[in-house]
Amino acid sequence: MTKLDLDQLLGDEGADPGCDAAGELMDAYCDAVAAGRPLSPRFDEFVRHMRNCVACREDTEGLLAILRQEENSNPR
Amino acid sequence: MLAVTAIAIKTNDAVILTNCRPYYHFAMTTAALDLESTQWLRDLTASDTSRDEAIERLHALLLRVARSEAARRRSLSSQIRAEDVDDLCRQAASDAVMAILSKLASYRGTARFTTWACKFAIFETSVRLRRHAWRDRKVEPDESVWTRLADARPQALHRIEREQLLSALQSAIDERLTDRQRSIFQSVALDDVPIDVLAERLGTSRNAIYKTLHDARAKLRLALIDAGHGDELS
Repeated sequence: MTKLDLDQLLGDEGADPGCDAAGELMDAYCDAVAAGRPLSPRFDEFVRHMRNCVACREDTEGLLAILRQEENSNPR
Repeated sequence: MLAVTAIAIKTNDAVILTNCRPYYHFAMTTAALDLESTQWLRDLTASDTSRDEAIERLHALLLRVARSEAARRRSLSSQIRAEDVDDLCRQAASDAVMAILSKLASYRGTARFTTWACKFAIFETSVRLRRHAWRDRKVEPDESVWTRLADARPQALHRIEREQLLSALQSAIDERLTDRQRSIFQSVALDDVPIDVLAERLGTSRNAIYKTLHDARAKLRLALIDAGHGDELS
């Protein structure tokens, strides 16, 4: 078992808002990332949750992919 | 734009909502919204045919999002017949529209309205894809995971250390976790069962499963520290 395996199994220690609260922030996070705005500290726990939760991470990647498609077809 | 300025004060490139319809007034009295988001809200809360047209536009947008997400998640959707994927996308878009309309009052304008709306379509689509991909599979412990976690040919010293760590982890799982924590940790962290699939099988929510997983991980971390493996943790 490697350190990477252990990290994946046990997740990132520290405050984690859980799926529901992270879901509330997902759209604001994706808008900020897609627009290239600097991320405020209020997203720190959200980012930790993304490291710890595969499903929420996949959903966030999906939303970002949609925003990037939209950006490519309609540049701001 | 007169109708919009009736509910908003226009600034440079955004509007500050000051006197919205009572339906969503409490949630957005201070939110700065872009014009497009304001227009969506105005149309979706209208009492004439513009509401029906807005719902139709929203459904079309979310159906495109659902299909795009299904195409992006080929590893899941390729296991499903094309007609079933499209049916799944239509259901996801319809349920996303319903969720959005019922939660419109909770939209706080921290993201563009379309981003907020697309989030529902992504969620509805991904949950359906995960559940569909697992619908004929049982969720049961896979004991071969410990063999897979052990390195094939590690150097002798590392091998002993890793075997000790693995053994400490197995002991902690057996001794420190409750039955429910053990079952959920085994399924999600070790066997890669999607959290939505497990939530459906156990009749609970993604958030509740995650909370149990989070508590289990914290217990295991403490157990490994007690067993002298603290240096190997992040």
